[in-house]
Amino acid sequence: METKQKYLTEAVPSFTPRTAMEEAARCLLCHDAPCSKACPAGTNPGKFIRSIRFRNIKGAAETIRENNVLGGICARVCPYDKLCEEACSRTGIDRPIQIGRLQRYVTDQEKAFGMKILKAVEATKEKVACIGSGPASLAAAAGLALKGYKVTVFEEKEKAGGFLTYGIIPSRLPQSVVDEEVQYIKDLGVEFKFNCKVGKDITIEELRKEGYAAFFLATGTQLPKTIDIPGVDLDGVTTAVDFLAAAKPNNGDIEVGENVVVIGGGDVAMDCATTARLLGAKKVTVLYRRTQEEMPANKEELKFAQSLGVNFAYTFRPGEILGKDGKVVAITGEGTDGESKIQLKADKVIFAIGQKADDLKEIVADIELNEKNLVVADEEADCKTNIPYIFAAGDVVNGGKTVVHAVAAGKVAVDSIDEYLTSIREIEATDKEVAAEKEGAR
Amino acid sequence: MAIKKDLSIEYLGVKFENPFCLSSSPVGSNYEMCSKALEAGWGGVVYKTVGIFIADECSPRFDNGNKEGTPWIGFKNMEQISDKPLEKNLEMMSKLKKDYPNKVLIASIMGSNEEEWAKLAKLVTEAGADMIECNFSCPQMTSHAMGSDVGQNPELVKKYSKIVSEATHIPVIAKMTPNIGNMEIPAIAAIEGGAHSISAINTIKSITNLDLDHLTAMPVVNGKSSISGYSGAACKPIALRFIAQMKQHPKLKDVEISGMGGIETWRDAAEFIMLGCRNLQVTTAIMQYGYRIVEDMISGLSYFMEEKGFNSLDEMVGIALPNIIPAEELDRDFKIIPKIDDEKCVGCGRCYISCFDGAHQAIDWDEEKRRPVINDNCVGCHLCLNICPVQGCITPGEVKFKEGREPHDVIFKTKYE
Repeated sequence: METKQKYLTEAVPSFTPRTAMEEAARCLLCHDAPCSKACPAGTNPGKFIRSIRFRNIKGAAETIRENNVLGGICARVCPYDKLCEEACSRTGIDRPIQIGRLQRYVTDQEKAFGMKILKAVEATKEKVACIGSGPASLAAAAGLALKGYKVTVFEEKEKAGGFLTYGIIPSRLPQSVVDEEVQYIKDLGVEFKFNCKVGKDITIEELRKEGYAAFFLATGTQLPKTIDIPGVDLDGVTTAVDFLAAAKPNNGDIEVGENVVVIGGGDVAMDCATTARLLGAKKVTVLYRRTQEEMPANKEELKFAQSLGVNFAYTFRPGEILGKDGKVVAITGEGTDGESKIQLKADKVIFAIGQKADDLKEIVADIELNEKNLVVADEEADCKTNIPYIFAAGDVVNGGKTVVHAVAAGKVAVDSIDEYLTSIREIEATDKEVAAEKEGAR
Repeated sequence: MAIKKDLSIEYLGVKFENPFCLSSSPVGSNYEMCSKALEAGWGGVVYKTVGIFIADECSPRFDNGNKEGTPWIGFKNMEQISDKPLEKNLEMMSKLKKDYPNKVLIASIMGSNEEEWAKLAKLVTEAGADMIECNFSCPQMTSHAMGSDVGQNPELVKKYSKIVSEATHIPVIAKMTPNIGNMEIPAIAAIEGGAHSISAINTIKSITNLDLDHLTAMPVVNGKSSISGYSGAACKPIALRFIAQMKQHPKLKDVEISGMGGIETWRDAAEFIMLGCRNLQVTTAIMQYGYRIVEDMISGLSYFMEEKGFNSLDEMVGIALPNIIPAEELDRDFKIIPKIDDEKCVGCGRCYISCFDGAHQAIDWDEEKRRPVINDNCVGCHLCLNICPVQGCITPGEVKFKEGREPHDVIFKTKYE
């Protein structure tokens, strides 16, 4: 397959009904399903794999979808090796069940059957605004719509999905999967306003006047981090955010350079390395400051990068970027042992060392932020901020975690927002009753 | 060096280089097939049943029974006897015997009346067959004068056995249908009629699966289907049971038996031999894997004999029969409590679930350690040992005698595969 085509085609093939059954038959169907306990979003593999085993694919789809509106996306991008699959009892015998791949199979079948498990309910409750359209916001929007709220998602970009759309390589997460799940959420009655940045194109105060009773702030971390080393301003030095956001919406039609160096060791760094390699770079090297064991990237992503011939220089931190005529020509690496040094030829250097949040004060002037400029909220408990009607979760709170954590936090926000608006509704109802009584007494 | 034991054995006075034969079926339908099989190492072939009747077959004609990720646990076929003209089959049989004089050619025949049985017996004898197998048992014939309808009727079995054995000088085998309660009855009838041996079992009448779209059985033949024969591994327990019962019957205990029904491996072969078979026949496993499977049957059986010190298959024939006893004679004085190896245990809890839902609530579940713990309710049924997915994790442990029973030595199995 042409590498460009490989960039656009899912690297891991889907199970067929037979191979899915073979894999499900390997499952020990544990009494206490540790896989199910290990999912941050509360997905229940123990139950849906049992459904596959007993030939109830539709029931399996129901288990996944009722719990996670982004089931197809999570099936592809979750770090299973650190979550459900790490907990799998089968590991004690040989190797874990491929839970993520089975989940993907079920969501594929759900699509093939044309199933609509989540159905729109009549929106009779208050208006809620979700700011940002990444996984936390999408999960919250769907959950709130299912509880009868009128939900609008405000997105500054052209398309929904956040990093799902503007980051993750299509060979891992095809855009069609994101688009389909966004459509699913639209079908639940959620409205999307694109090219609309809250704080600039419209303010929270204006939205409050329009009747929005609660806000869910999930704008993520979009500003790339760089390190202040010599040469960062050279032409050819870029960031993961910019590099990936250019590649995916253009279906890979971008210039990637011949010798690419990616700095970082997470899934984003892997996505940059594989993207560069599949889009034509001759040599791609990942420069990572710690050891392979310490590298946070998903094992499957690492293996995929290695299978494409990506090189890895471990225990080197970037030294300086060398240029000629304003353009990058090489980068040096300083060994963490204090002695080793390397120099790598490079016409592109990509920083994939994490992101930070936008200036959130632009959105809400008096929101409480911590020293990292992240919103202060407990996303595992209630997602409440210092402002009663504003809730926040996802990367904008935690600084950058996985998609499944964002989904989990979005679900917490749904319950918290519902509880908040329900209590206001009850207070108002009581006030009205009291007023009516007073009226009657007069 | 590869071990190669002498696997030769006499069956009905004819020496087989090994007991492995193709059974009368699609796997031995013509010269090329039988020739390839004999070259691959099979000791003999039972050529696909010939008759005056020429089969008109349907399409498709097969289905398989499966479970989880395992297909072919059993196999359903709707083929009848040969669909080739008799002359053609006789010609191929002659050529086979001529080209492979040291291999054994068994002709399977099926008539629909006395004249046909006699004629067929005479013709296949002239063609050079070493012995004749009377097919009284095909369960999917389109004529009710033939097949298992005959095998279920001891009178007819006796009559046709007599006609065939009188029409030939070579040994005659009567092939039994399992679609009956007691196989001893038609088997005795066959022997009384003059047959020299019994072969068992033919396929079991079955409906493997329904097709939920067309609301008929599988395979779907223009929207309909029929009951027909089931074979393969799933049938082995039934075959072994019929064979053991015949070999334990006073009137049949000295009758030689050719066994079949789900033989795939040397192990299956050893089991049939130890229950009294002197000859073995295989089809389903060949349809799934090809003639080459005989290599592992020969090699595996040789290693087994070496390991256990058997010098010939003769020493093995029927050796297990004395240990198959009536339920009322079993020693019921004790229970064997299983022991669980916590180190090997992976904590799946399947033993806990099965013991609670399917046995005696004799396993407690330690939530914290994720380990099963056997309690005093244990009756020693060993369901847990059967369900455990981990090799060697649950094994038989302490032998406990029931109250008031005299303790004594107990033979029990300690190693499970």
